[in-house]
Amino acid sequence: MITRRDLFKVAGVGAVALAVAPGALRTSFGAPKKISLEDALKEHLGVGMSALKESNLIQVKAPTIAESGANVPVQVKANIPVDQVQALYIFADSNFNPWVTTVEFSPMNGEVFFATRIKLAKTSPVRAVIKMKDGSLLAASKEVKVTVGGCG
Amino acid sequence: MSRLGRAIVRVPRKISKGQTFKVQMVITHPMETGLRKDKKTGKVIPAHYITKVEFLFNGKKVTTLHTGAGISKNPYFAIMMKATESGTLTINYEDNKGGKWSKEVKVNVA
Repeated sequence: MITRRDLFKVAGVGAVALAVAPGALRTSFGAPKKISLEDALKEHLGVGMSALKESNLIQVKAPTIAESGANVPVQVKANIPVDQVQALYIFADSNFNPWVTTVEFSPMNGEVFFATRIKLAKTSPVRAVIKMKDGSLLAASKEVKVTVGGCG
Repeated sequence: MSRLGRAIVRVPRKISKGQTFKVQMVITHPMETGLRKDKKTGKVIPAHYITKVEFLFNGKKVTTLHTGAGISKNPYFAIMMKATESGTLTINYEDNKGGKWSKEVKVNVA
């Protein structure tokens, strides 16, 4: 015999299944896939996270708490002679595509400096990676808390 | 958007020889990621973002930026530069839809 309680249980399970289904369908239908940080690093640097060396020569300036993820000012500065630096990369861990930008320097820059405004999907570290001319990779990061995401 | 691709570039008015100075620029551009949906029609707004920005001083390459959709709308970029003579700073930039623009700024070194 079906009691009132049982009926609710069955109805509840059904409702959950229906709510989950559209999500599952969407991912199975070849929607663009999120790129992981590791993959993004491999694509742009050729190596993964383990090859990066933390360095205190690089300073990443960004707000600790960003009100809107659509517009987060980021400034990167490094106490390294500019003629030893090949390029600077900026990554945001939890973005759809973590790679944000690549900056190629030349001796005419005078110093290693770059500032821009980036989008952040949610709270995540912002990483700056500097590729030296000798091939070594130096990294620094800054955690940014986001209250409203910016990658609609 | 008729203002698409317009840029404002700012350099210091007076620069002494050998001094490093900041070059700031803002481009008018939507920087669509291609992930956002139009709320009225439900259709995905196609990706539209700046892919490359080149800074040339008197024809010599200073900095090249490769950018993705992770840069905010109406992108702002700032770099440092050193100059020993007066000249023209040319900034070439392009987007993923084939838009190409150029902007020239005079740099006066005293």
